Amino acid sequence: MEVVQCANYAILFGFKGVLELMGFKKLLTKKMEFSASHRYWNQEWSEEKNIEVFGKSAGPHGHGHNYNLEVTVEGEVDAETGMIINLYELKSVMTEVLVDFDHKHLNEDTPHFKSLVPTTENIARVLWELLEEKLENNLKCSLYRVRLYETQDLYVDYWRK
Amino acid sequence: MEKVKIKEYVSLTKTYRFSAGHRLFIKSLSDEENFKIFDTCSNPNGHGHDYSIEVKLTGDIDPETGMIYSLEDLDKIMKLVIEDLDHKRLDIEVPYFENDQPTGENIAKYIWNKIKPSLSDKLIHLKLSETSNSYFEYYEEGNYPYER
Repeated sequence: MEVVQCANYAILFGFKGVLELMGFKKLLTKKMEFSASHRYWNQEWSEEKNIEVFGKSAGPHGHGHNYNLEVTVEGEVDAETGMIINLYELKSVMTEVLVDFDHKHLNEDTPHFKSLVPTTENIARVLWELLEEKLENNLKCSLYRVRLYETQDLYVDYWRK
Repeated sequence: MEKVKIKEYVSLTKTYRFSAGHRLFIKSLSDEENFKIFDTCSNPNGHGHDYSIEVKLTGDIDPETGMIYSLEDLDKIMKLVIEDLDHKRLDIEVPYFENDQPTGENIAKYIWNKIKPSLSDKLIHLKLSETSNSYFEYYEEGNYPYER
């Protein structure tokens, strides 16, 4: 897709122009840990079906994980500050978003998973939506990728174009 | 999801581990020639590694289960593959590696071919780590737009 775009630009602007247009990708990633419990449960289904599909994850009282969130933003490096985004700003955005998640039971204590199973995929999607909303005011950078580790051995990548 | 169709990209990566022994050795060559190519990897009695496999799947999030793919099913698929490799001497006990060298490249390809039929289009990337300092990737070119 990007190769095709570059080829089109090559016709329009010539090779040197393409190099200037292509530039370099500038990304910044910040990590943050939070702990939460959840239960895999689809309210539309019977108890039998929930247990059949979700197994141990459907246990009535839920269980917990130490999640690790990696937020990547893309943007231009400001000539004066040398930053894509002020890390304190990104930290406070992430902290604000995670207030709803850290040390909470995701199904019970947050509004986001009342009718949505809090799988790693769905948590990553909800986090993307919340982070994107908070970063909307920052015109200099945009959300690039959310990576959410449920355990050291399992993570989900989520992004939108 | 909202009514407006948003293009979203989701991938799920799970790590599995196994430990195995191997010796890199071309049977038609002498010990000296093998040592020139494979160095200590050709030592006569073999040696072992703790391997890890990172399997990356992609697809739409199923609205009912909230999942790209059932992790329980993925575990079952991987368990079958790992059973054949774990705590084995690859070039002696796994028939596939009697002819193909049990290098990271070939082990990654072997695992890919074993799991691809069950996972089909959902499987987009496989990473095999031999040590914490070396890993091998295997995927279909042009079919891995998930570089983020």
